This record gives sequence, C-alpha cells and structure tokens, in this order.
Amino acid sequence: MHTIWRVILVAFLCGSPLGYGYTPGEMMDPKIPTKTLMPKIKVDSGLLEWVPYSVDLSPWPTLCVDDPRPMPRPKKAQYVGPLRGDAVRGKAIAMDTQRGNCVTCHAIPGEEWPGTFGRDLRHYKQMRMSDADLYQQIYDVRTSAPRAVMPPFGALGILSDQDIRDVVAYLQSLE
Amino acid sequence: MRNLIVVLGLMLAPAWADEPYKEYTSAEHFEPHVSGDLQLTGTYRYWKDPAKLDLRLAGHPDDSWKLNWKHMDYPFNKEMHAGHLALDRGLTLFKKLNRSGTFKNCLVMYRLNGKYETSLRGLRTAFPAYRTDLGRVAGLEEVIEHCAALEGEVLQNGSHDNSAVSLYVASQSLGMPIQIDVSSGPLREAWKRGERLYHQKIGRNNMSCASCHVERVGQSLRATVVTSPYGDVAHYPVYRDRFGITSLHIRFAQCSLELGFNALKPGSPAYTDMEVFMTALTNGYPVSVPSERP
Repeated sequence: MHTIWRVILVAFLCGSPLGYGYTPGEMMDPKIPTKTLMPKIKVDSGLLEWVPYSVDLSPWPTLCVDDPRPMPRPKKAQYVGPLRGDAVRGKAIAMDTQRGNCVTCHAIPGEEWPGTFGRDLRHYKQMRMSDADLYQQIYDVRTSAPRAVMPPFGALGILSDQDIRDVVAYLQSLE
Repeated sequence: MRNLIVVLGLMLAPAWADEPYKEYTSAEHFEPHVSGDLQLTGTYRYWKDPAKLDLRLAGHPDDSWKLNWKHMDYPFNKEMHAGHLALDRGLTLFKKLNRSGTFKNCLVMYRLNGKYETSLRGLRTAFPAYRTDLGRVAGLEEVIEHCAALEGEVLQNGSHDNSAVSLYVASQSLGMPIQIDVSSGPLREAWKRGERLYHQKIGRNNMSCASCHVERVGQSLRATVVTSPYGDVAHYPVYRDRFGITSLHIRFAQCSLELGFNALKPGSPAYTDMEVFMTALTNGYPVSVPSERP
C-alpha cells in the first residue's frame, strides 16, 4: 500500500507522464529482454528514437530524489574458506567491462592504458591482505570505507560468490 | 473541502514515512559561477579565456584535460564538423517555423531584467528560465518543442532537429556569458534539487555524478580523464563524434546508462533541475557553438 502511494506521489514530483517505466519519465520497455532503452539521434529528424540497451537497469532507482526504490545497504559477506578460486577466470572478469571492469579504475598487468581512480593492483599480493578481507572489499567495500567510489560488486549482484572468489585468486597471484 | 485535504494527507502520509535508503557523496561548496572551479579543481585558470588557450597544454596527453576540453571549441578549434551542418539546418528550420513570426515570439516570451525581450540575442544565456505559459522552469530545448508544437510541427526534445534549432538560437548569443539567477524563486529550488541529484549515489554501480566529477577530477577511467563540472553547458548542444548532435538532456540520459540506471525522457523535471544546476556552474562563461567533443 505504501509503495502504491509513493508511486503516485512520484508521478507528481518526478516526471513527465509520457514515460513508460516504474518512475514516470523512465525510458524502458517491458517487452524487450533488457527492458532498458537508450536514445538514438536520427540525423535531420524531429523524432528521437529509443533503442534497446545491452544491460537490464530497470531494478535500479533513477535520477529522481523521490524515486521510491531504495539502494541496498552496506552488507557483510558470508565468506567461508577455503577460497577455491580460478585466477585465469578471475583475470577475465577483471578485464570484462560488463562484469568486474577493474581495469577501468585500476592498473592491472598486461593493460597498457589502465585507469588511475583506484590503487595500483599490479603487485597486489604485497599488500598481504587475507582472502576473507579481500573478498569483503570486492563484495561491499562500504563496510570498511563508507566514502569509497568502488561499486559493491557482491551486495549489488554484479558478481556472484564464485566470480568474487576467482577475482580474489587472481589478485592474490599478482606478486 | 477541509475533510478532503485531511483524507488526502492521511493517504499520502505513508509515502513520506520512511525514505528509501540512498547514499550521497559528501557535499562540497558549489558556487553558481564558473570561477567557483578555482575551489574545486583549480583548472579554471587554464581555460578562463577561450581565445587564449595554451597550445602546449592542448597537445600534451597528460595535461590536455586541464583545458576542460575547451580546445575543442571555437576559436581554438576552427575545424569544420557536423555541428556546423546542424547549425545551417537549424537556421532553415527556424525560418520555416517562424513564417508568421509567432515561433520567435513564443521563444522570447519571458521576462529578463524586468522587461520583455524581442530579440534572439542573449536568449540562450538566460535559459533555463521560469516560463509563465508552461508554469514551470524549462530549458531552451523544452521551450523549442513547445513552441514548435504551437506551429503544428513535431520537434521532440533531444531530437536532431530540436537540437539544430537550439544551436541556431545559441549562435545568436555567441560569446555572451551564460547568466541565470539562482538566488531566489523557482530557479533556487531547482538549483538545490539539482545539487542533491548530482550527489545521489544510485544504480547498478552505486555511483553519483560527484563520485567522478568531484572526487576524482584529473584521474583517468582508462583513457578518459575526468574534468571539472564547471563551464560545461556553454558548448551545448554539442556534436559528439559517436552520437551526433547531443543536447544536455540527452547527455544526462547517456550518463545515466553509463552509470547504471535507466534514462529519463528529455524534459523530465529531474533533468531540468540538473540543467539548472549545471548551467549555474557555467554562469559567466561565454556561449560557444557549434562545438564538438569525443
């Protein structure tokens, strides 16, 4: 009941009544696999096209202060050892822009033009961090660093438990 | 009537009762003037005067970001690009829409400095503005869509042709400083909401605009170096190599998807609030169109 009234309120406060999504004005189409739309500018046309986007972003709140959908709170992972991670698979996840995407912000061996947002990971093993602590850093860094920019990969469901174990195995292999 | 208000109030009360959990990047002090950058990134001194940019910085891969991409604006960049073609089309469309003179009247129908303006000159510098005919704060592209509809034409906000007309209108303010007043009234409220949205961490990556454009200015996301949010609105609508003629609201839509949450329809109130905030951060910087960006 509360949610229904919130949505009605959001209709007043957030947006254009011509949108198609949960939040008024939100550009999505429930009939396509990813539900998410991106704008496509057609040259010499007064119409704006919306085409399918590659990732389903429909669960997340939009850029509207009154969107009723909450973000997940910081969460402690339920990590149980041993690690059993695959470093080769972990590297592939770290380099994949749709998954770990670590390389966009961190220096990683073999990448000539890495990002500089975060710590250099090329010799990560020298940090001597335990598997459990590193797992938590990737799962949800907010538990130890509330102001961190790094996405909480586990708490937000970007990476699975095994994905994170693989990335931990990869980082612990970087001597 | 009083009973109706009480009943409505009780029904809506749960909506305010528990605010959904969201995090915000720590707020810092933003000035509604482009020189406020000196307190944020300090790069303003390098791009303050578009006619006197440092050629050596522009050609340096590690330092060119300090010019806030202004070396891609005229007069430093005299290259021909699709923005020029769109500007020509904007002039043609404007003439067609304004056959009877009513389209222009609709565009300039606003109060500026206590008097009604009749010229397109300076119009771009005063948007977003509160429009009495719409009853809300609106950006230039939203007003173009509205005024074109009154002429029986469809120019959807964010479309190529809408942005082309916007480019033409902006070209009539070339070199004039952006100047919107966010000290009071509806624009003040929009500025405050826009500032809050700028810091709101949401989406698949739990990030805000400020996560990068405040906390990591000068750092790189692979090959892309993050620059200041100050001064950015002066060159919109802009020709982007990968996307074509891009209005500010389309840029917000693209940013939304890149950060991991759904885009809103151009002209949505949240985007207009963001436009007010970003435009105020460009106050005092000259309009520079047509421009290009990667």
